Amino acid sequence: MLNYRKFALRRLASLSTKYLPFADVASEKVPLSQLLRLSLFQVTVGMALVLLVGTLNRVMIVELNVPASLVAGMLALPLLFAPFRTLIGYKSDTHVSALGLRRIPYIWKGTLAQFGGFAIMPFALLVLSGYGEAVDAPRWIGYSSAALAFLLVGAGVHMVQTIGLALATDLVEEEEQPKVVGLMFVMLLAGMVVSALVYGALLEAYSPGRLIQVIQGSAVVTVALNLFAMWNQEARSRERAAQMEVAPPPLPFSEAMSTLLAQPNMLRLLLVIALGTFGFGMADVLLEPYGGQALGFSVADTTKLTALLAAGTLAGFGIASRSLAAGGSPENMAMYGAAIGIPGFAAIILSSLGGGSPMFLIGTLITGLGAGLFGHATLTASIRRAPKDRIGLALGAWGAVQATAAGIGVALAGIVRDAILSTQDAGSPDHAPYNVVFTIEILFLALAIFLVLPMAFRARRARAEVFRTRKTTIQTHSAEVS
Amino acid sequence: MSDEDKVWPTGLNLKEAEEVHSYLIDGTRVFGAIALLAHLLVAVSTPWLG
Repeated sequence: MLNYRKFALRRLASLSTKYLPFADVASEKVPLSQLLRLSLFQVTVGMALVLLVGTLNRVMIVELNVPASLVAGMLALPLLFAPFRTLIGYKSDTHVSALGLRRIPYIWKGTLAQFGGFAIMPFALLVLSGYGEAVDAPRWIGYSSAALAFLLVGAGVHMVQTIGLALATDLVEEEEQPKVVGLMFVMLLAGMVVSALVYGALLEAYSPGRLIQVIQGSAVVTVALNLFAMWNQEARSRERAAQMEVAPPPLPFSEAMSTLLAQPNMLRLLLVIALGTFGFGMADVLLEPYGGQALGFSVADTTKLTALLAAGTLAGFGIASRSLAAGGSPENMAMYGAAIGIPGFAAIILSSLGGGSPMFLIGTLITGLGAGLFGHATLTASIRRAPKDRIGLALGAWGAVQATAAGIGVALAGIVRDAILSTQDAGSPDHAPYNVVFTIEILFLALAIFLVLPMAFRARRARAEVFRTRKTTIQTHSAEVS
Repeated sequence: MSDEDKVWPTGLNLKEAEEVHSYLIDGTRVFGAIALLAHLLVAVSTPWLG
């Protein structure tokens, strides 16, 4: 009797942990393949960003005939959630779970939100544009459901990215962190580039049915990739669960936040991130129309421009990964990144004032390089500053500042250009409004350098101090030996 | 960790099993709500059954 019970138990016990969604033991050294798998969540983030900022922006205005101001408002909604990244990070840091999990539940919740948003988005957009019988439906249904769809996707993206980065930081040793940060950025970039190409090809021949297929397809791909990414990553631990249970109630959010900000230079670092990201981010949407209008590039040429910018950024990530893993200071690297951006933008401005397209291409490449260095260095600096039990909060602060600055930068760049365009008389050159924006970017990068300079100097002095003491100890040691 | 409250056949104890179950319940609710909303929106734009 009951032999089956014993049998089933033995079979279950012999199942290796690879069939379980959590790792059984936290291994000392995490293999690269596992980190690569984890970084797939960045691909879904990139996918969502491209869909929101690029593809749907065009589809809603061109194919669905939604007023441009309404589209801009809808696409700005996810930005509202960016500050909540700090709260999500804090919640994850202080999460109490009987399984000892802290990160996976939140990545899962974020994935659900992303999926839900994509699942209702195509129908919401069709209702919003008055497709079929929806013409007679009350307007608020379209507005509210589209807003809900964008909010859900935005909230999911913020959650997945913040907690995913926190999990990656948990998994590796400090000296490995720059490489992981580089990997995460590369995957984000790869996700954005590949999905932009795929969406472009799929929506070439637009039909409402195709729109539904593409967006809901993204929903399925998002869930699949995120599940695959988080599978087996976080260790289940009864010890940690027991610790969580008896742990004293955590510091309230406001106090945790103020202790984080009270860390030396944390506030300054966040300010630098905001200024620099804003400076680099404003260019993203303007390079293509600038190439087209001021330099007479064709559509195919401007697409290659984006590839060139991405190549520069990729090179920046590579250089930053290598140099920071070798012990370079992230503050120094952030300064170099911002400093490289200035001649880049200067070259872009000069290209329309007689420098020609080679100048423009060089400027684009250099700008990409600077953005890559700056992004990598500032994220690494944020991670290094995070206390071990506040990693989620620190990454939330980074994400909140970074996402807000980038979003506002993209939005403002368009607004400033349009404002100048509308006040301009017909006689003035095409490149004038763009060059104003590029000049603003140079100013912001200069401000960022000004703020990061003391930090970089301090880091350099500290390093020199370390080397000197190490040298003297070696000398005294060898003297003793001889 | 005492063995008495282990739940057959997973070897999880009661609290752990309840937590896993809560994820299942939450997921079902969220998926259900999303499906309901999606159906409503489809019905608004292309009504079926009359």
